[in-house]
Amino acid sequence: MRTPVLEIDRLDLGYATRAGTAAALRDVSLSVAAGESVGIVGESGCGKSTLLKAVMGVMPPNATIETGAIRFMGTDLVTAGPEVWRRARWSGIAMIAQSALNALNPVKRVSAQIAEAIRAHEDWPRDKLRARIVELFEMVGVDPARIDDFPHQFSGGMRQRVLIAMALALRPPVLLADEPTTALDVIVQNQIFRRLDALRKELGFAMLLVTHDLGLVIENCERIVVMYGGMIVEAGPTAQVIGASGHPYTLGLYNALPRLGAGVEPISIPGRPPDLVAPPPGCRFAGRCPFAQPRCTTAPPLNRLGADHVARCHRSDEMAVLRPDARLAETWERGAPVPDTIDTGSIEGI
Amino acid sequence: MGRFVLRRLLHMAITFFAMITLMFFLFRMLPGDPTATVISPALDADARAAMQARFGLDRPLIEQYFVYLASLARLDFGLSFRTSRPVWELIELRLVNTLLLILPSMIAAYVIGAIGGALMAWYRGGRAEGSLVLAATALQSAPVFWLGMLAILVFSIWLDWFPTGHIVTPGRFPEPSWRMYLTLDFLHHLALPFLVNTLYNLCFPLLLMRSTMLSTIGEDYVELARMKGLRERQVLYGHAMRNSLLPLATTLPMILGWSVAGSVVIETVFSWPGLGLLMIEGITRSDYPVVQGAFLLIAVLTILGTFVADLLYGLLDPRIVYR
Repeated sequence: MRTPVLEIDRLDLGYATRAGTAAALRDVSLSVAAGESVGIVGESGCGKSTLLKAVMGVMPPNATIETGAIRFMGTDLVTAGPEVWRRARWSGIAMIAQSALNALNPVKRVSAQIAEAIRAHEDWPRDKLRARIVELFEMVGVDPARIDDFPHQFSGGMRQRVLIAMALALRPPVLLADEPTTALDVIVQNQIFRRLDALRKELGFAMLLVTHDLGLVIENCERIVVMYGGMIVEAGPTAQVIGASGHPYTLGLYNALPRLGAGVEPISIPGRPPDLVAPPPGCRFAGRCPFAQPRCTTAPPLNRLGADHVARCHRSDEMAVLRPDARLAETWERGAPVPDTIDTGSIEGI
Repeated sequence: MGRFVLRRLLHMAITFFAMITLMFFLFRMLPGDPTATVISPALDADARAAMQARFGLDRPLIEQYFVYLASLARLDFGLSFRTSRPVWELIELRLVNTLLLILPSMIAAYVIGAIGGALMAWYRGGRAEGSLVLAATALQSAPVFWLGMLAILVFSIWLDWFPTGHIVTPGRFPEPSWRMYLTLDFLHHLALPFLVNTLYNLCFPLLLMRSTMLSTIGEDYVELARMKGLRERQVLYGHAMRNSLLPLATTLPMILGWSVAGSVVIETVFSWPGLGLLMIEGITRSDYPVVQGAFLLIAVLTILGTFVADLLYGLLDPRIVYR
């Protein structure tokens, strides 16, 4: 196995809310090897964006890292102090922000915005800075004559490219991408991902892509991490996670994927994500899982299904048997077994 | 940009013209005969007619209006009824006095307000911040003459730190001259009205900046700035505060107008010999040419301030395209 550049180790993160502490991340462990592309998928509110913000060290003021480590090149950023973390940002771990529309400061020239990112870490003379910005624009396919334009002068797709150029400014070994193409149409989205893939092969950075779009991850990532309710429920090489899923939620996500011409209608997973302030005991997915059993009210173990493939489910070894059932819409419409057949406790946290 | 400035200048000229016209006729619509103080009704009819002819008052109003316009173009504001000296002579130093009080206190109010409001939002939630918001709101609602009188009571009468009014110690300069601005005595007299005016004008930019900053802090580009590894100070001043300045610039003309108009009050409280006080003096003595001249200049200051604020806004926000 390649050496990890980024290692998240048993991370617990909570948000202080009026109702109590929301357990936004629980026992999240993840390692990203140099040059690898990893995709994190899950519904809104599953903690995937929180995880990226935690790695960048820019959590909102009410968030606290309770336990765990975030190691970049072996250094734990959580305990190393804010200045070490600040230095690691962008030069070590850069980010392609979610919203190309709002991530650029509207009143500053894009060249100035890229330059300030570089100058926050390195002391370069002006002409070297400008040469680098021109080079970056060429790299992402935007006319270098436009480096001194303001953000509103670019189209959405070009702004996203500018953000990628900005992220690559200091040749970071790790690139995080949070839904980098949600605001763009599919054609531009495709162009952006092809460009990102080519750049990754050329420059050798590792990419951690966060999205709710499983299809995007299947196409672009070597490994998949599936998150649900602040926990990793399944992780492994793309082929194994998709071909031999070890968690009902992964199967549900795959069912929900629209497929052209296959004659299969997408199946949605009924119900809502769990309340993170008072999460259900045991498996957080049990309240929506058609395969839930009484034992699902106890915490499921992280089962090892392959060399690099894990799933957090009591029944992950039975998945081969359950899979045909999981492809049927009726199974999901039926939902979780009614509470008098199993005791699911305070599912949904009501 | 050049074309915009030209067009804006043209607008300004039209505004000036409308204002001058309005003022000319307003003053002639005043109840009572404003000329009565100069041309005594006790005089016999022939003598009065002769006097009126000398002032041109026998001619039709519209003709008087064009004569007035022509004189204004030569900076001729007419003669004071009381002193019979040119109004411009009276106004000249008064204008300087007003500007010396209003401009520095406006600049101070905006600079302190912008930085203070930004810091309040940055360190929001603390007890100190809560009390500051309360204090600013209270201060903003207090009438400025009351604040001024309170300040005189505390700092002039009780503590005896500052004089109660005037621009220099009375009697020190028998004739007002430029030299008086170069004395410490002048600064000593300026301090209290400057402080009161600054404090009063400070509240609005402070509270506005704070609320704008609170929403700017949550913007994606502020988060991205932090992700880029910028130091907190750079994120605060370079991004969050920089972008929150825009609404402040929009409200600048309005506040400038208030402040210039408010100079009437503050100058009266502090016996500050500026345009505002001149106007009050003119009104009580029925010296209409003086009042009209002071009115005109206060309006000119407001219009000029608006023009500057417009240009400033364009400099702050590149999305504003001048056409």
